[in-house]
Amino acid sequence: MAIIEVQNLSKVYGAGDTAVSALDGVNLSIDAGKFVAVMGPSGCGKSTLLHLIGGLDHPTAGKVRIEGQDIAAMKDEQLTELRRRKMGFIFQFFNLIPVLSAAENAALPLLLDGVKPASANAKALEWLEKNKLADRAAHRPDELSGGQQQRVAISRAMVSDPVIILADEPTGNLDTHSSDEIASALRSLVTDWGRTVLMVTHDPRIAAYADRIIFLKDGKIVDDTLMTGEASDNARRLKEKVESL
Amino acid sequence: MRGQFLLALRYLTRRKQRLVLTTLAIIFGVAVLFGMNAMLPGVMTAFRHTMVTAAGKVDLSVSSLSNNPFDQSALEQLKDIPGISVSTGILQRNVLLPASLGGTANPLTGSAAIVLNGIDVESATRVRKYQVDSGRFLETSDEKGVVLGYSLAKRMGLEPGDGLTLPSSQGSVDLTVVGILSQFTSSTVDEAYVTLPTAQQILLLPGRITNIDLLLDSGADKALVSRAILAKLGSDFKMGAVEVGNELEDMLALGQNVMWLFGIMALITAGFIIFNTFRTIVAERRRDLGMLRAVGASKKTVMGIILTESFLQGVIGTALGLVLGYLLALGLLKSLAPMVQSYMRITLGMPVITPTNLVASILLGIGFTVGSAYLPARSAMRVTPLEALRPETLAVEHKQRTRRALIGLVLVLVSIPALLLGELKLASLAMLAFLVGLVMLLPVVVKPVADTFGRLVSLIYAREGSLARGNLKRQPGRAAITASAMMMGLAVTIAMIGMVTSVFDGFLKYLDKSLGSDYLMMPSSLVLGGGNLGSDPKFAASIAAVDGIRGVTSLRLAASQADGASLQVIGIDPQEYPLIAGLEFSKGDETSAYQALADERAIVVNGIFSSANSVKVGDVLNLQTAEGVKAYRVAGIAMDYLNAKLATGYISQANMEKDFHVTSDVLIMADREPGADAAQVDADLKDVAAQFPAFTLIDSAGFKAEQENVFNSAKSMMYALVLMLAIPGLIAMANTLGINVIERKREIGTLRAVGSTRRQVKRMFFAESLLLSALGTLVGILVGLFLSYYMLKALILSGFKLNFFFPGLGILVAIVVGLAFGILAAMIPARQAANTVIVEALRYE
Repeated sequence: MAIIEVQNLSKVYGAGDTAVSALDGVNLSIDAGKFVAVMGPSGCGKSTLLHLIGGLDHPTAGKVRIEGQDIAAMKDEQLTELRRRKMGFIFQFFNLIPVLSAAENAALPLLLDGVKPASANAKALEWLEKNKLADRAAHRPDELSGGQQQRVAISRAMVSDPVIILADEPTGNLDTHSSDEIASALRSLVTDWGRTVLMVTHDPRIAAYADRIIFLKDGKIVDDTLMTGEASDNARRLKEKVESL
Repeated sequence: MRGQFLLALRYLTRRKQRLVLTTLAIIFGVAVLFGMNAMLPGVMTAFRHTMVTAAGKVDLSVSSLSNNPFDQSALEQLKDIPGISVSTGILQRNVLLPASLGGTANPLTGSAAIVLNGIDVESATRVRKYQVDSGRFLETSDEKGVVLGYSLAKRMGLEPGDGLTLPSSQGSVDLTVVGILSQFTSSTVDEAYVTLPTAQQILLLPGRITNIDLLLDSGADKALVSRAILAKLGSDFKMGAVEVGNELEDMLALGQNVMWLFGIMALITAGFIIFNTFRTIVAERRRDLGMLRAVGASKKTVMGIILTESFLQGVIGTALGLVLGYLLALGLLKSLAPMVQSYMRITLGMPVITPTNLVASILLGIGFTVGSAYLPARSAMRVTPLEALRPETLAVEHKQRTRRALIGLVLVLVSIPALLLGELKLASLAMLAFLVGLVMLLPVVVKPVADTFGRLVSLIYAREGSLARGNLKRQPGRAAITASAMMMGLAVTIAMIGMVTSVFDGFLKYLDKSLGSDYLMMPSSLVLGGGNLGSDPKFAASIAAVDGIRGVTSLRLAASQADGASLQVIGIDPQEYPLIAGLEFSKGDETSAYQALADERAIVVNGIFSSANSVKVGDVLNLQTAEGVKAYRVAGIAMDYLNAKLATGYISQANMEKDFHVTSDVLIMADREPGADAAQVDADLKDVAAQFPAFTLIDSAGFKAEQENVFNSAKSMMYALVLMLAIPGLIAMANTLGINVIERKREIGTLRAVGSTRRQVKRMFFAESLLLSALGTLVGILVGLFLSYYMLKALILSGFKLNFFFPGLGILVAIVVGLAFGILAAMIPARQAANTVIVEALRYE
């Protein structure tokens, strides 16, 4: 069953002569429990698509349905609650609160939801442990490596048991080794925990971890491929496809 | 809620430098507000202690409504009232015991006044129990006997049988101590008991008393008896003891208003600093705020985080401000103490914390902090999750600035004529409008000021000057807010210096006029009602009889109420007084006013009274007198130096005798014949004065010189206070520059990477600081001139006759202070910027 449905989605920035069409009539359906990557050249609209699906922005036209609910018509408070309870976000620059510890950052969505600090912290520590960061729980972001910070972000994204994880260039700021760690972690969210992951990336090596790749160009979907076979083969094929597009 | 609190607390504790700088502003604001208002009650408490009458241990007490002595025949009228067991008449007055007669200040009250009680021994001892430790109590036949309170006797080392000389209206009186009251029945004030006739003679009040004390029958209804008493005696009486010092209330109200004004201005300055800080915080944390919204924080939560942070800062700053404020009040009281002791024979005590002051300071301190953070918190609320990932567009900001600037310009233009032409309330509104208008105009003014002063700064900082100019023009909003904070401090500096010059000049003129005589017979306290004993008119006559004395005039004193408002009434001779001294008239014709005083029941009131009670020339005041309510026509508004600070009215001595039964003099002025032998006249006058130890002979020229010294010390105190108000301006500058270093870390790293030396980075910050201070000083001067004129106008409308002096000195001081701040504020931020590690700065997010 489709957990994410996008119908005729468009987003235009600016007006008149300076108007830019970031997305142009995109239709898309994503089933639950899948790992989907969105790729494309700079300015193709991939981040815009992610933001619209995540309720971070409003479309100019079209619909976005999450678990059957049309989110484009929702008021700000409903959208905020949706993001807090149903979605988890992972950003390129980690976006951790610099003055909070790793555990406090991970617990943040629960604290914002009014959960008692003791329960929120316990849940946060659970996820930090799963991400092999239990020993760094009391450290602040400036005391952690890039990979570690992104794993804290993953813990934060998972702490409220969301149905969808939205990741915007999650490895864009990491070295190769850390990037693979993060990609594996995202993979396990799908395989071991049954979540749906939608990831934007420009790196074919990372996209290869996904089940399905959607290619965007000039605001439109130009290709939609299921990934089968070995990850390394997938990566090579994706690289060729990107170059051809 | 918990999430908000956690985030707010973490942000506060992890940014210590900013926390310190912002909190300092709140501390100063609260300290000035709280400290000033703790100082005034301390002065008042000490003053009132000189006036306080002994607490009675009786059932009921009756006194006159005007607090003046009344005829003792009133006792007869109470004889038939059911419920009264015993009634006794008491003549009770404060008498200042001069140092020449062994007088010293009571350590508990700070006063050298003795409460002299004249009692009818037979009835008084039936109403009250007087327990005597040594010797015996008074007997009716004791013409020269006195019983002393325990603390007074102990302090003066007196025993039964010892002699005690008290000042009297006839000069002095020698009494013999017959007994000393028990320690446990004596009150804290210094008291002395003589027979009623003896007291009446000492005080020149034959047949008069001030209180009736009553013992009721067992089971008598107090309220019923009280009503019966007042019905019998009439509306000129009240239940309760004599109240004194009420005429000080108007002065207290004026003083309190000035203190509150200082405090509020300090808090407004703090408010600018806090607003600036939180506006920058929101800008700095856009990505964090956007992320919080993305992960599900509601708009209210985001706003709540900023407000919680400001609330916590407000609490910390207010708490520390209260402590600093108390210390400030303590310091100021200690510096005022020698002057007050010298002129009023009062020892000042500790600051007095009233619940009103404490609660108001806490509410205002926290309120201003949270209030100043409100607008930045609202703009934080409007940060969308996506906006945080994109840069701000300049076009929108420009539009807002232009609209605001136009409104500001209109406000400024409208306020100037309103100040010059309007009455006090309109002038106050004009002041506010001018301030608000200027603040709105400032962001637009930044660019031309930066360009103009930038050329000057470039003379010193040739290469860095243009960078500094550009930085300022890039952030006009922030530069404007910083300049506003500086502006408040410097404006007050200029205004206060201008005010002090005008007031000093004005009061010197008053001195010349009011104390224009060659000689003064001054009472112990400069505040005429402060326990001074009046002298028999024979004293003035004996002065007039001295060879070489041309003319003598005196002041007499009574207390009254005019239509419910307390008033000190001074009796003058309308013919002699203007020849020797004189009042400074601000309303009404001087000649006709004096004539009216001589011809009819007329009164001249001073500015304090007229402004507090909206009294004009021609109005009729109903004065409470010993002869009942009497109507007095206001013939003029004028003042004299000695009574400038108290609500005062001047009537003729003839009317004072008729209506108040006062014939004793509390101050005598005399002029020497031109050509008389000054040394001989001085010597002869000293001999006369020696017979009246309650008075001190003073040469007027010497007195004026002393008063000038008093003004100079007061001026020093004002400059210290003014400096305190300017300091938050320095904090504002340092705060802004500190924020700039943090915000522009990457830019600084880039500058260093492309070849700028540490010295050049430092100089850029110094240049920027000087430009900021130039902006702040310029607007500070403008507002200072406006404020200076406004404050002077307020005093003039209160009845003081003063001229406006262009505060040239104040402006010069402001320029020097502004430049100094420009250098001082930049020192630490410039060093921090210069020491930036390049690679770290380039990685900075």
